[in-house]
Amino acid sequence: MEDIRIEHLTKSFDGFIAVNDVNLTIHEGELFSFLGPSGCGKTTLLRMIAGFETPLTGKILLGNQDITQLPPYKRQVNTIFQNYSLFPHMTVYENVAFALKIKKLPQSEIDQRVKEMLQLVQMEDQANKYPGTLSGGQKQRVAIARALINKPRVLLLDEPLAALDLKLRQHMLIELMNIHDAVGITFIYVTHDQGEAISISDRLAVMNHGNIIQSGPADDIYERPDSIFSAYFIGETNLLPAEVVSLEDDYVGLKCDAGNGESFEIDSTYHFKPEIGQKLTVSLRPEKIAISRRKPREQEDINIVRGVIEDILYLGTHTQYIVKVGNLNFRVFSQHKRVYFDDAALDWEEPVWLFWHDTDSWLIDEVAPAELDAGDVNVFDVPIQMSRNLKRQSHQE
Amino acid sequence: MNRSQAIASSSVLEQRQIKARNWQSWLLSAPSLFWLILFFAVPYLIVILYSVLTPDIYEVKFAFSLGSYREIFRGTYWIPFFLSFRLALLTTLICLLVGYPVAYLIARSSEKWKNILVVLIIIPFWTNFIIRIFSWRIFLSTNGVMNEVLLALGLISSPLEIIRTDWAVIIVMVYVYLPYMILPLYSVIEKLDFSLLDAAMDLGANERKAFFKVTLPLSREGIFAGSILVFIPALGTYIIPQLMGNQNSLYIGQIITYKIKNIPRNWPIASALSLVMLIIIAAVLLILYAFYRHRQIRKMDEAK
Repeated sequence: MEDIRIEHLTKSFDGFIAVNDVNLTIHEGELFSFLGPSGCGKTTLLRMIAGFETPLTGKILLGNQDITQLPPYKRQVNTIFQNYSLFPHMTVYENVAFALKIKKLPQSEIDQRVKEMLQLVQMEDQANKYPGTLSGGQKQRVAIARALINKPRVLLLDEPLAALDLKLRQHMLIELMNIHDAVGITFIYVTHDQGEAISISDRLAVMNHGNIIQSGPADDIYERPDSIFSAYFIGETNLLPAEVVSLEDDYVGLKCDAGNGESFEIDSTYHFKPEIGQKLTVSLRPEKIAISRRKPREQEDINIVRGVIEDILYLGTHTQYIVKVGNLNFRVFSQHKRVYFDDAALDWEEPVWLFWHDTDSWLIDEVAPAELDAGDVNVFDVPIQMSRNLKRQSHQE
Repeated sequence: MNRSQAIASSSVLEQRQIKARNWQSWLLSAPSLFWLILFFAVPYLIVILYSVLTPDIYEVKFAFSLGSYREIFRGTYWIPFFLSFRLALLTTLICLLVGYPVAYLIARSSEKWKNILVVLIIIPFWTNFIIRIFSWRIFLSTNGVMNEVLLALGLISSPLEIIRTDWAVIIVMVYVYLPYMILPLYSVIEKLDFSLLDAAMDLGANERKAFFKVTLPLSREGIFAGSILVFIPALGTYIIPQLMGNQNSLYIGQIITYKIKNIPRNWPIASALSLVMLIIIAAVLLILYAFYRHRQIRKMDEAK
């Protein structure tokens, strides 16, 4: 059942379009995320649902009720703010009880419900403390209790974990999911962290420049991105510029431009029908590529490409190789499963074979920009720097 | 040397160090201490001394007398005391009611406007105090600018007699002391986290409730500071009622001045009146401070 429907929602600030004609449906009980880089409009969208911003055009429906023009205090929606915004002059108890006091409920009922709520977030023994004396994780719990006590229909979470350190973030993420299961209402979660969004969401919307680029379940967006932005923003990927040279019933033949007039041919299945001669982009996830110094057996549905190892980065759970094919850098993740491949470690400058299944090269109906905007994604910068240092060290040894 | 001796001697050493440090800190604070004694303690001691002497036509007779205090506690001056307190309270209250919205507006303005507005609040200080009060006299007088404009506009049929009334005193008091209310309020409201208002509205409070439950309690320190800064000087004010008011309602500041200025002079009663005022103000401040401390301590206790 649908809980929130957003129709043609647009918002601008001084001529800058923050949210551009957004249409979206969020189902009841769902944990839905808005994911995008800062300034993509995700927080503005959330603030319009909460009632802090009035849209320029469009409608927001909660159930069957049009809430577009309702002030925040008349909406069955509560928010967990980015810095929690706990009232510093009130105790934990008073913070959580705030919404019920405003409603003028009898004191016995307030006591009862505050107690239950503090139990849910495991803060019952901190009820008399002031927020200034709490740790980040405790503040987070109070914020959750305060937002849930009024039994909202929808809970909005604005980057709730951004202020916490990594371990606590992972812990609170699981706790948020447990709380979502326990209360069963719709959660709308805003984040710029793709890892958080993928792991927590039932469905998510990838946003950029005020537009929803793609929405759907996380695995759907990861495996089947419909734009370069989705492919690049969620997870890591190799984007190969390609031209269609042949078209069969179940696959296309592609010529990939490797720079300097070099090229190589690969096959791919397709989910939209391209035309011969059309230029497009192939998204190939690093973990789908196998790497080997021995040439693999030729098979009909396997693509094989020859390259040279440019860089190696050991990451514990897996190793990341940068393999140069012509002028293209392929990123390849290889897990350390010795049962599958030859076990002698690959070395810098070593010629290798890369191979992957036809169905793993995913076509995107866009021409890749010559140089991808480094501001959008910066996966390349740091690891390569780090691995160069490693390389220098290993040569000295 | 065994262990306990070692500990004992080290603690003796520590105590010596503490003593040396104490001595140093006294030395370092000597200039300000000297200043305080010369300009604060000595004058007050003179006032205390004069308050228990016997009045004479021009000076004092150096003979001990509690006559001045007896006169005060007999209630001779209770009307000026009452008038002064009423004036100070009214001034503080009006300054608060006028100053709060102004401070709020400035605090919520854009960065550029904030600075301009704060400077505008401070600009009156650049003109001499007496000149500003005299301009109010001209402005409010029966044939003054205000009455002429109101008459020309047809809003009144005969000039308003404001000058030389308590109203004139209040108007100018508020005018003079308003910046002392606005500035501390502004500095507190400016630091306020306005996302707390979003949070309050999100939790069901309308704008009015959000103000009374969040903004107002969180600006309490500014209200305290501003009220003290207005109330205390307003209580002892002399020049404003002297220039704007009439001789029917004399304030305590005026009484003290007359006792020194007019012959026969009465230094002891002027001194005693000043001291009684001082004690009342100190008592009010101590009560406020104790109240505030109590809250702080309670907060800390609960935090443990």
